[in-house]
Amino acid sequence: MLHPTSQRFSLIAALAMTAVIGCGASLARAADVIRFGAPLPLTGPLAPEALKQQQGYDLWAEQANKAGGISVGGKKYQVEIVYVDYQSNTPRAVQAAEQMITQDNVNFLFGAFGSGAAKAASTVSEKYKVPTLAATASSSQVYDQGYKYLFGTFTPNDTLTTPLTEIIRKQAPDVKKVAILARNDLFPLAIAQEMDKSAKANGLEVVYFEKYAIGTLDHSATLSQIKSLAPQWIFITGYTNDLLLVRKQMVDQEIKASVVTMIAGPAYQDFIEAAGQSAENLTSASWWHPAERYDGKDIFGSTENFVKLFRDKYHSEPDYGQASAAVCGALFQLAIERAGSLDHDKVRDELAKLDVVTFFGPVKFGANGQINSLDPPVFQIQGAKPVVLFPPVIKQGELKLGVN
Amino acid sequence: MLTAQLLINALVLGCLYACIAIGFSLVWGVLNVINLIHGSFIVLGAYLAFGLYQWLAIPPWYAWVVAAPLFFIVGYGLQRLLLNRVITAPVLVTLTLTFGLDLILNNAMIYAFKADYRKLTLRPPLGSLSLFGVVVPVDRLIATGLALALTGVLYWLLRRSRVGRAIVAVRLDRDAAVLMGVNVKSIYATAFGLGAALAGCAGVLMALIFPISALTSSSYLGKAFVVCVLGGLGSVSGALAGGLLLALVEGIGSATIGPSHATTLSFALLIVFLIVRPQGLLGRKGFE
Repeated sequence: MLHPTSQRFSLIAALAMTAVIGCGASLARAADVIRFGAPLPLTGPLAPEALKQQQGYDLWAEQANKAGGISVGGKKYQVEIVYVDYQSNTPRAVQAAEQMITQDNVNFLFGAFGSGAAKAASTVSEKYKVPTLAATASSSQVYDQGYKYLFGTFTPNDTLTTPLTEIIRKQAPDVKKVAILARNDLFPLAIAQEMDKSAKANGLEVVYFEKYAIGTLDHSATLSQIKSLAPQWIFITGYTNDLLLVRKQMVDQEIKASVVTMIAGPAYQDFIEAAGQSAENLTSASWWHPAERYDGKDIFGSTENFVKLFRDKYHSEPDYGQASAAVCGALFQLAIERAGSLDHDKVRDELAKLDVVTFFGPVKFGANGQINSLDPPVFQIQGAKPVVLFPPVIKQGELKLGVN
Repeated sequence: MLTAQLLINALVLGCLYACIAIGFSLVWGVLNVINLIHGSFIVLGAYLAFGLYQWLAIPPWYAWVVAAPLFFIVGYGLQRLLLNRVITAPVLVTLTLTFGLDLILNNAMIYAFKADYRKLTLRPPLGSLSLFGVVVPVDRLIATGLALALTGVLYWLLRRSRVGRAIVAVRLDRDAAVLMGVNVKSIYATAFGLGAALAGCAGVLMALIFPISALTSSSYLGKAFVVCVLGGLGSVSGALAGGLLLALVEGIGSATIGPSHATTLSFALLIVFLIVRPQGLLGRKGFE
């Protein structure tokens, strides 16, 4: 029988041994892992969008690891995504990006959510020369900073409004007056301003253009005013909550128009379900749509396969945010495999050179880092389902007029 | 015609605001507790109505029967077990406590129901009434009726019932009420329970009108706060007066200087009231 002291000693020795072995194992693991940093607003007002983006990253990581990992010069590396919650607070997004690079030793970065935070955080990744892919930044102000290490998978905002206006001009000649109502927020306001420009360029009269404050609980006064101007096209921007509320109040006030466009709500399945009958014939545009049919060279392959994998994992329909996040992962994988190295500059150069079809669409980045190869789809809700109207290659139906 | 429509809009919206604020006003006025969990109670009430309609096909007007006692019990328990322990502490302590409780409830709701927006859509929908070109949605008319009814019931309760008179007595002079044999702890819990029940009922109604998500709780709380300051604390009809004033200012502001400045205008009004008339429109001195 062992003496109590030696018993204690052997216990400590065993613990120490385990710790050493454990450390060794984790060191060995760390060497075979590529770490991707993803600063996201996982709590706070932007949480719903961030959680979706996280689903996209996770799906890619899962698929990449299932296939054995990313192959770099004949050696397979597992994918690990490091998340930091910046609580919907942009200055914290910048800190989070810096912390990931300097303390968590991530190899590559995903951009923060939306244009504003992605732009702010990109200064850090540029400083440390870490290639960064922004999944949800569309405003050109993000890309005109002359940065070399920042790339993004959303085309500029006007690529959404211009095709839409052209379709309406051609197929709804009675549309003469447009009313625009925008959420006073970076992206919703920017897209409304593009709409204003493209309406005027197409000879339409903009009879109303106003912004509403973030968190507005009631739109009745605004809508009464719009109704009194009798526009044939009503264009409203905001997020799911705002647009559901506006749509409900439009029905309440019996506002009818030939065309009603809402960006970005109808791109989300939860909007269509919540709006029910009132979603019928709403038009919208987004950067990607599950109805697209691309045969990609990335890990997901075809759009159908991506949609299927997404449905199997999350039991819901993917939207453009989730798809964009997943394609960012897939693009990193392509660039790293082509570079055959984890060297920042080599991977950066491969990203800049990319000219490839993915499940998300053709991907090629312009000199400023923003994608310039996509034709964002225009669609309409018909029979509680989104029907693609543009581009012609994936067109599923004709524009229907009249929103009651 | 537009002016008439704007006025009607403001009138029904004002009653909606009164519904949101009435429980908040009661708790603030009686207990001197700024109850930050109020907004989350409203959202929880909305989820309750949504669930009852979606899965048991119970329409919202019956959901009140479930919501009122349920929320009363929750509120009563919360006050009895937690808030009563710090009720005599400075107002910042109760503020912090309800802030913490709100964080817990709000995040629990996000965890349980996810952050997706839901909408209670009645089949068939209630629709709108149209008279001489002025349109009024029926669900908002119901809200107007409910706001008036709740104000009436609360007024009656505080003036005529034994419990109500005890609540008023505690509010006027806590120590004297104790000497008269009033069980102060129980009265506090009753008042808080009433506040919670009013929030739950308001939530059931909001489910008909607004999209439902835990993320909207701060909007409700913000409105309740402004309405109480404008209308005045310690007065039952204050919530109604404050709600109407706020809706009118927002409506006129939105139509004249644009919707993005309507909120600015309402908060400017709030500051003016705090400086010029801190007791609010119908409040009594000493409760500001």
